[in-house]
Amino acid sequence: MYLDHFEYHAPQTSGQAMDLIESLGDKARLLAGGTDLLLMMKDKTLKPEHLIDINNVEEYKGISYEPGKGAVIGATTKIADLEHSTLIQEKYYALHQAAGELGSTQVRTMATVGGNSCHASPAAETPTPLVALGAKVVLSSTSGEREMPLEEFITGNRMNALAEGELLTRFLVPDLPPKSASRYSYIGLRDAMEIDAVNMAVNLTVEDDGRTVKDLRLVMGSVAPRPLVSTEVPSLMIGKEFDEKLLEKAAQAASEEAKPISDIRASAEYRRKVVAVLARRLLKNAFDAVREV
Amino acid sequence: MKQLISLEINDRVYDLPLDPRDLLVDVIRKKVGLTGTKKGCGQGDCGACTVLVDGKPILSCLTLAITCRGKKITTIEGLTGDTGELHPIQQAFVDYGAVQCGFCTPGMILTAKALLDRIARPTEEEIKRSISGNICRCTGYKKIIEAIEAAGNTISAEGVK
Ligand SMILES: Cc1cc2nc3c(=O)[nH]c(=O)nc-3n(C[C@H](O)[C@H](O)[C@H](O)COP(=O)(O)OP(=O)(O)OC[C@H]3O[C@@H](n4cnc5c(N)ncnc54)[C@H](O)[C@@H]3O)c2cc1C
Ligand code: FES
Ligand code: FES
Repeated sequence: MYLDHFEYHAPQTSGQAMDLIESLGDKARLLAGGTDLLLMMKDKTLKPEHLIDINNVEEYKGISYEPGKGAVIGATTKIADLEHSTLIQEKYYALHQAAGELGSTQVRTMATVGGNSCHASPAAETPTPLVALGAKVVLSSTSGEREMPLEEFITGNRMNALAEGELLTRFLVPDLPPKSASRYSYIGLRDAMEIDAVNMAVNLTVEDDGRTVKDLRLVMGSVAPRPLVSTEVPSLMIGKEFDEKLLEKAAQAASEEAKPISDIRASAEYRRKVVAVLARRLLKNAFDAVREV
Repeated sequence: MKQLISLEINDRVYDLPLDPRDLLVDVIRKKVGLTGTKKGCGQGDCGACTVLVDGKPILSCLTLAITCRGKKITTIEGLTGDTGELHPIQQAFVDYGAVQCGFCTPGMILTAKALLDRIARPTEEEIKRSISGNICRCTGYKKIIEAIEAAGNTISAEGVK
């Protein structure tokens, strides 16, 4: 299986990369980990004339953190580096969990966090927790930078808000307030190398009393063309004391809010049931985790 | 358009006329002639084509060879010592009967090598998770897991790399 011919560019600086992106326009594709792109080039759904390899630009990779401000995650940071980062594990547990579930050891070594959001498969692992954590993306071009919430960046099934000449350079993840915790889970047919039937992330903050819900984000993946941010569950739970009855209502609300389709991986009805199960489990786990800190 | 590109494979530098579209697996097998690396699915699913790049396991069927300039590539041939003695992981695969047809073995061993470099004595769960992208049609995995566990013990005890 041969790929079609293309010209290969390996910019070393951000300036060089953005110049190339601007001058080559839609004749070019960016190469990050290649785990989505090369498959599309192999089956000839994509035939770029140029590939711009962005992996040599140092400032596009790595994880940094500043207390009070939060984390900056470079777009070409590998999924394996997220998975193994103690910072991510301590502060943004849901993202740590999702990174560990993506593909296999080898895929995680190759794939980047930026590629996962840019490819924007509805079943993608990391956009769900990133949206739950309130992540913003920074889009850069020769004419400057702009920021937007990740849920606005992903505009549909495999669609994103990149304008011509732009690339995604980093994610900004806000610092979490005290008494908060995030959790991620998914359900698929099997454990390894699975495309999720449904995935979900919860980011919960409680009041000083340790019981009352102060803030909450619940995000579902694979039940709509793009990550679905629940409005019903927060409006039900915020300001109320966390108990079993409320949890049950919240799970039902999430299930009704989901807009799943039937496909080869699961029926819509099954997905809606799974949403309730995941919502109950994750809200409970996050609540238990908050009470431990 | 072919260009002359240097690739460092198993501590040896090869100057190769490469096209940017050449995949690492094809270059290793056909241009360099190291056929230990296998090509199974060609789509990232089976792990047979796993090699180490700067010590980390990657799929050579989804990697452009040109992107490996300046990096250290290790294939299964590179694990064996100068005089042909087997690496402890290879020896454990032989001792524990973890090889049947052998098609998955090079990729499996290199994935295991990266795991043991990171965690000297992994748990069974860590081993299973780490090789979940390496498919074996023959062994049922049990002996593979035992072999990796044993290799971890040998390496820790003897301090070999
Ligand atoms: C065997 C296998 C299993 C997989 N399992 C999973 C899984 O379980 N969960 C999951 O979510 N995904 C999975 N994937 C899909 C894939 O690995 C991920 O989506 C990955 O994160 C893509 O990142 P990449 O760096 O490889 O992207 P690439 O393939 O390099 O790029 C993907 C697309 O995004 C564009 N792009 C990349 N980076 C940028 C940027 N910074 N700015 C603008 N555009 C950019 C590229 O031009 C391309 O169009 C799997 C893939 C394989 C091969
Ligand atoms: S040949 Fe590369 S993963 Fe199967
Ligand atoms: S030994 Fe035959 S595939 Fe594993």
